Amino acid sequence: MADYRLIIIGGGLSGLAAGIRSARFGRKTLIVERHSLPGGLNSYYYRQGYLLETGLHAMTNFAAQGAKHAPLNRLFRQLKLSRKKFITHEQLGSEVIFPQASLQFSNDFDLLCEEIARHFPAGIDRFRAMAKEIDTYDPFAEVPWQSARDFLHDRLADPLLEDMLLLPLMVYGNAEEHDMDLGQFAIMFRALFLEGFFRPQGTMKDLIDMLLDQYAQFGGEIRFRAPVEGIISKDEKVRGIRLENGEEITADAVLSTVGIPGTAQLSGWPLALDMDEYIGKMTFMETISMLPEVHLPPERAGRTILFYSLNDELKYHRPAQAIDPSWGVICFPDNFQGLERQHDAPTQVRVTNAANYELWQQAAQDKEQYRQVKEECGQQSAAAVSQILGQYNQDAVFQDSFTPMTIERFTAKCGGAVYGSPIKIKSGRTPFENLFIAGTDQGYLGIVGAMLSGVTIVNQHLLG
Amino acid sequence: MTRDEIKDIILEIIEDIDEDADFDNLDADQPLRDQLDLDSMDFLDIVMELRKRYKLQIPEEDYPELATLTSCVNYLEPKLQDV
Repeated sequence: MADYRLIIIGGGLSGLAAGIRSARFGRKTLIVERHSLPGGLNSYYYRQGYLLETGLHAMTNFAAQGAKHAPLNRLFRQLKLSRKKFITHEQLGSEVIFPQASLQFSNDFDLLCEEIARHFPAGIDRFRAMAKEIDTYDPFAEVPWQSARDFLHDRLADPLLEDMLLLPLMVYGNAEEHDMDLGQFAIMFRALFLEGFFRPQGTMKDLIDMLLDQYAQFGGEIRFRAPVEGIISKDEKVRGIRLENGEEITADAVLSTVGIPGTAQLSGWPLALDMDEYIGKMTFMETISMLPEVHLPPERAGRTILFYSLNDELKYHRPAQAIDPSWGVICFPDNFQGLERQHDAPTQVRVTNAANYELWQQAAQDKEQYRQVKEECGQQSAAAVSQILGQYNQDAVFQDSFTPMTIERFTAKCGGAVYGSPIKIKSGRTPFENLFIAGTDQGYLGIVGAMLSGVTIVNQHLLG
Repeated sequence: MTRDEIKDIILEIIEDIDEDADFDNLDADQPLRDQLDLDSMDFLDIVMELRKRYKLQIPEEDYPELATLTSCVNYLEPKLQDV
């Protein structure tokens, strides 16, 4: 008999959710996590006495309690967590800013419609018709890749409006450069525009602790600092895992959340295409600044997230330089409804820009060079953002950046690609009949999406 | 188990799965799905819970038997008679 019914590789959000689902019905389950903290991309760390979150700007897929079919509430039922006790803070409002126009949006879809009617009077009826179409589209049907850009252009016929809508949807979840799959577009459109942004009460640590507690409650086991060296297989079946310390642990099935390239490396899975095709090119640098106060231009006051482009056209692709500061995301994590700042606590601004993994990798060969590139990129980013916010970070009490190298090191995402492989495997299947994948490379997006991915794969393949 | 006991078990399981479940106007002969706004993921949980508690294997082709409270009881009565 195997040591476990299920071994899950990776203690990120998809792995934790899968673990809860498996353990809930009495299956002996083990999660192995390489690092000393769970959470994967959405984790936290401590610096100068502050708890800083890594991936989270906001959670998407907001749904009020009681909306039973909403992904967020479904997820809570599946994990047997109380939605009533889960306190959420909705966004104040966000904005997409391009040189010629800007569009505000909030968790009330009508605001986006009003904004479009105001700035693109010829496009509002078309936009409403398109939104209806997206609302009924099934993004999980296994259909061939379809261009979201072609779809948008066909429905809206206004390149500026198309790019403005694509910016937030791409930067919060698109693994591909230039274009995105229509199914992914539909998922993101719903998650951001129809449902919206919120934060859980407390920090990412509280959310992760809630998941860990629930997992432990159902008898699930987790091991930290337990990097996997390989997945042991015989013929078409896997038998378990071997840890880097040489220990072998057997299981009836293995669920990997370390992506397609990572899982292929561990299992010897012969991929259909060249490995490079499964390594996403979209990676980012993010700078967190702690400021005593942020003085924003009055027209931007009280925003939660700003998506900006200093160009008329959206350049969603890997930049030729270390970062591309000409477009990006500015997030104010304190600007959510019902959050009260302690009077002496500094406030936070997070700026995210697309980055070039290869250039960062080269710079990282030399410690001093890496530090220098990081500093220069930080300045370039701040200079670009000041075109929108004014001089916002002069009196920063503290600043910290993470780069594609940091992401790769802490999240097992090859090439620092936060949204994983541009090619997804929606079924979660691999050539091994009892090895499955869940998480980013299965195609669900965001924090709620990652958890639903873990739940769905366990439901489909492992609870039978 | 008596029919009433089985009925209570089913309601208890649903209550356990869905903290918003409201049985006030529940019609035992109408589909649970519509009345309680449940989806297929919730039905999977009912099946899994029955398996966990009573070692009861319910094959997928039998899921329609669980449509209403009355049909649940009819279906489960012979299976749970010795419990």
